[in-house]
Amino acid sequence: MNPFRVAVAVAIKDLRSEWRTRELVPALAQFIVLALLIANFGFQIDARDAPQIVPGVLWLALVFAGLVAFGRTFSAEREQASLEAMMLTPASPIAIFAGKAVAATALLILCEAVLVPALSLFFGTALDPGVVFAVLLATVGMAALGCLFAALVARVRARELLLPLLTLPLWIPFIIAGGQAVQAALGLPGNYDEAVGLLIDFDILFVVLTSLAARYVLDE
Amino acid sequence: MSVVVANRLTHWFGHDMALDSVDLVVDAGEHMAVLGDNGAGKTTLLRVLATALRPTSGTVEIAGLNAFREKRRLRHYLGYVGHTLGLYPALTAAENLEFFCDLQGVDRARVDGVLDIVGLRGDAHRRAGQLSRGMQQRLAIARAVLHEPRLLILDEPDASLGADAADLLATVMRNRTVVLATHDHSLANRLCPRTLNLRHGRSVGTATRLHVVK
Repeated sequence: MNPFRVAVAVAIKDLRSEWRTRELVPALAQFIVLALLIANFGFQIDARDAPQIVPGVLWLALVFAGLVAFGRTFSAEREQASLEAMMLTPASPIAIFAGKAVAATALLILCEAVLVPALSLFFGTALDPGVVFAVLLATVGMAALGCLFAALVARVRARELLLPLLTLPLWIPFIIAGGQAVQAALGLPGNYDEAVGLLIDFDILFVVLTSLAARYVLDE
Repeated sequence: MSVVVANRLTHWFGHDMALDSVDLVVDAGEHMAVLGDNGAGKTTLLRVLATALRPTSGTVEIAGLNAFREKRRLRHYLGYVGHTLGLYPALTAAENLEFFCDLQGVDRARVDGVLDIVGLRGDAHRRAGQLSRGMQQRLAIARAVLHEPRLLILDEPDASLGADAADLLATVMRNRTVVLATHDHSLANRLCPRTLNLRHGRSVGTATRLHVVK
């Protein structure tokens, strides 16, 4: 049994399902645009104070879009009872988890492809590759954690409430390091390389930890 | 040789007892029907035997292995059709099976043959969500036999299948050990020489060949 083949099959299956149903990405993209619109009017941002406020708006929009995206990864499987069918195959739970996390990450990256240019459009900040890189790095670790907790809460009734309660505290390191990286990339004081280094460390730590925990979460 | 040996299986859902000290032995190649009213514990028993649900107490051995300690080793051995079908509605019938080929580690070339057996070859490229309930049931049966399991656990597989249900089931059950839950006594009588009767989670005895009074 090749775990790589399993992970690829799971990821392709999820992406194909999303492509055909278009349940998640259009709604999330719409949510992101609305969040930016509200922030734009709410904060009365001008060109001078945009770099101070934009990182906060970016991470708020990303965090809430991420919660919705990762919450759907396992709740849809539970609703149609297909997770049990998957778990009754000899496929490794870690490979199944990896496939689902990769697909959720890809979907969130699609939403980020709307978010980052829209930020630039609404707030007049430069479309900096440093911002894109920091957001992508944070997405990896956030996806690993988000998918693990989504799998954990998928079987309980109050999952929509529990997922943010469990996930948000553990996303804080990504928001702090990511926020610093984005601020530095937008020309505010701060060390970009140091913040990106931290993001990479967090990614490695949480990807390894969630992979180890996934077996127990999915199996039982 | 016994393929399934279950001892004193008991399962509680909260304060409700779903299974109460059920014992069960199924020999190699044997077909056994599990009968009982709604809520008798048939689905719970079958989910335990399929290793989808860990019982509160009791043991299950399948092919000589502890079903819960060695469940990953037993996956190749077991095929299961549950009460809920667990199909992907946005994928076609063929894509559903190809996906499970990848998860089972079997060649995707098996898909056409299995679709043929369940009579869905002509609907291979229709989305599972657009198939009728009976066709979805056939697809779930196809998925269960994709990896040629030696033990088949079927929870009301005849539901929505139509007139040829017994013939289809007889085909997929051939040369396999089968535990099948159904409400249809005549189907059980035709397909299974032995039955286990459940009432309120308790075994009320096994019987060989039912005599159906018309």
